[in-house]
Amino acid sequence: MSSRRILGVGRNAAVAVIPLLIILAPLGHAIYVEVLADDVDDAQAFLELPAEPNDGCVRETTYMRFHHWELLREVRDEVVRGGVRKEISLTRCRECHPSREKFCNRCHQAVSLEPDCFGCHYYPAAAAGQREVTSR
Amino acid sequence: METTAKTSLPKPDTPGGAPLLVNPDLAFIHTLSRRIGENYKKCMQCGTCSATCALSPESAPFPRKEVIWAAWGWKDRLLEDPDVWLCYQCNDCSTRCPRSAHPGDLLAAVRQESIAHYARPRFLARWVNDPRYSALLLAVPAVLLGLAVRLRESIGGALGLVADAGDRIVYSYSSTLPHWLLNGFFFLFAILVLVAVVTGVVGFWRDMKAAELARGGVQVRALWPSLRTTLKNVLAHENFGECTTARIRYVSHPFTFFGFLALTVVTVWVITGGINPLVKGDFIYPFSFWSPWKILANLGGLAVVTGCVLTIRERLFGTAYNTAGNYYDWSFLVTLILVALTGFVTELLHYFRLEPHRHVAYFIHLVWVFALIVYMPYSKFAHILYRTCALVLAESFGRKRGVPPVETSRQQRGEEQP
Repeated sequence: MSSRRILGVGRNAAVAVIPLLIILAPLGHAIYVEVLADDVDDAQAFLELPAEPNDGCVRETTYMRFHHWELLREVRDEVVRGGVRKEISLTRCRECHPSREKFCNRCHQAVSLEPDCFGCHYYPAAAAGQREVTSR
Repeated sequence: METTAKTSLPKPDTPGGAPLLVNPDLAFIHTLSRRIGENYKKCMQCGTCSATCALSPESAPFPRKEVIWAAWGWKDRLLEDPDVWLCYQCNDCSTRCPRSAHPGDLLAAVRQESIAHYARPRFLARWVNDPRYSALLLAVPAVLLGLAVRLRESIGGALGLVADAGDRIVYSYSSTLPHWLLNGFFFLFAILVLVAVVTGVVGFWRDMKAAELARGGVQVRALWPSLRTTLKNVLAHENFGECTTARIRYVSHPFTFFGFLALTVVTVWVITGGINPLVKGDFIYPFSFWSPWKILANLGGLAVVTGCVLTIRERLFGTAYNTAGNYYDWSFLVTLILVALTGFVTELLHYFRLEPHRHVAYFIHLVWVFALIVYMPYSKFAHILYRTCALVLAESFGRKRGVPPVETSRQQRGEEQP
């Protein structure tokens, strides 16, 4: 019975080796990336700090870092459902965070969360000559 | 009761026809009968089961002798018998038993008793295998984890565990259920689990070895080579491959086993994020969907769900088992599949960014993870250690899988069927 073969190896070996190879694949990939590949673009999900930190931001830095999306959602609801427009708008974010690529996409992509904002909102690069890289 | 039974028991198979005093442990007989009914008492000791079993050794094969020991209430002898754990409940014996005594069910029930007997503390073993305590046993991790999450800031501040995030992004999961908190919480309980399970298994090993030596067994292989052979057997699912009746488990067990192994590997990777040289600075959690580790975790989760669904289907609708199984079988199976399913729900809610739903789902997931891991020494999950120990002992005492069933060996020798 055990003489049956799967993919050219004995059946018993196949049952053990194929899953183990799959399980070890990410480790192999990590070793390849860290040790063997010299020139890897390890795009890190770090904040790109604005030139002048928290100069007139709508909330303090810690709050924005942890909960900016809650704020954006609240404001969205107020504007869209309540018709109340206050001082907070995406346009003002651009004053300190000109690059959508650096300030939004980089971190969001790291955890596979596409920001919803830009399906509707226009968020071009602020500085002249700076080309905004869009992911869509 | 146990001690008196033990001292009054003569050696098995005493040569010369010395009188054999049977001093039954009635409580044990009642426990077995409550779990699997009284079928095993129908046994007429014909030995069809032992002859048909592909996993049974050639000398003193099981399960014939175990069935009569159970009927006589020889609890001690059954609990310290490695053969009980060499049985994978293929149920080839049960399907061929002329008296429908279902030896496969009996050995499964004895294995459950074995875990309950050796696990420490005893009361937890009793609670984990009693459905009346299930709500309490789930409430304990829910309350403890809830307290830990509630007090995370003061705990972190007091222990100096909250590192400054610096320029790093702190994602939603990390702020509500921070890693240092979960790692510390589960590490604490993991140590308790380790102490409990090692205590139980050491006792099991000691009794098993003493019994094997008393029977006149000789250790023919050292422990390390025996362990190597056993691990190869376990990984390759060699014994499952010998089963005929419960053939489906040659598929369902590898799926569950390797799926769980994959999830364990990813978990170890995540836990060691701070010190693992292969993670370094760009460790981001939650992983991106296309991170190789996330892909492995998702595949592992899918494999566990697949394996569990196959097992549940077989238990409910299949023909491999005589009964659908008891609370001991189902609590482990349900806990395992719920760990995987709540994990997937958490992941999905993360992608949909539903707040606070994703945190609630994550919390529930963690409670089930606690139930799976912390109650491991007392649940069916403990088989990973008890069975491995018995396999190693059997290997080192030369109790190997016997020859294949008669028909197969005849065919191999090219003889004609009678």
